[in-house]
Amino acid sequence: MFSTRRLVYLSLLLAMATALHVLEGLFPIPLPFPGVKLGLANIITLLILYLYDLRAGLTVAIARVFLGSLLGGTFLAPGFFLALTGAVVSTLIMALLVNKTDCFSPLGISLAGAVGHNLGQLVMASLLLQNQAIFFYLPVLLLAAIPTGLVTGYILQKLLERLEKTGLLPELTRNGG
Amino acid sequence: MTRADKLLIVAILLCALFGLAKIYRHFFTPLDQLFPAQATITAEGNVVRTIDLDPAGGKLTLQVSGRLGPATVEVDRGKVRMLAANCPNQICVKQGWIQNPGASIVCLPGEIIIHLDGPATVDAVTR
Repeated sequence: MFSTRRLVYLSLLLAMATALHVLEGLFPIPLPFPGVKLGLANIITLLILYLYDLRAGLTVAIARVFLGSLLGGTFLAPGFFLALTGAVVSTLIMALLVNKTDCFSPLGISLAGAVGHNLGQLVMASLLLQNQAIFFYLPVLLLAAIPTGLVTGYILQKLLERLEKTGLLPELTRNGG
Repeated sequence: MTRADKLLIVAILLCALFGLAKIYRHFFTPLDQLFPAQATITAEGNVVRTIDLDPAGGKLTLQVSGRLGPATVEVDRGKVRMLAANCPNQICVKQGWIQNPGASIVCLPGEIIIHLDGPATVDAVTR
């Protein structure tokens, strides 16, 4: 169902996700492990999954990776494909947890999304390199995913609470107009 | 944070630690333990015996028959030597023990070759 209101809000969220994606690319985390980052843009993806549905989340996640890589100058570079598969896999996993389970808080779902992102990334990396040895890196990424996934999940939790308080949520998700 | 969240964190943590332990033990195991050295004995062009060399292993002597009749090869704690041979110069016997991968004892008149295979402990040796 087409809704202008939905289109506008999703576009705004896409703009925010792109901005976060690019910003994050500008500030490398000073750790000796390449590929470890917070995944701030994932906050927006998960927010969309909470407010809207899988289709919206997937669209915004994919569009965010395209726009972010165009702005960051990594379009069609290896990092672009890693980000793309990571975003798709993490969105699918988070959507599954949001829609089919109710025992997880945003923290757990964000964490599962971070792990899904790592898995998707590594599968794509092994395809690009034509070498499965890259999976040796998985434990390092998993270890890093725990704090980063929890931090982004915590931010989302606070964001949802604030949105709840403002009373804007029904306005955001209303389909008409 | 719910109970399921905590379980998920613990599960991921365990997976990560298990993977790390497994991988890094592999990394820090010396190569010669992962792939033990082997001695290949060739007589008159045919491989007659392949022996795993274990630095903690025991003593072993074996007879190899070459062109000039039987020769005796001795294996002891991962080292190999030609103990006795019928050749005139006795170069193979005088060479003594060999133990590094890539080393070999060659008895030309007897057509017996002992060659050690395994991961190299050094990249290259010049003499």
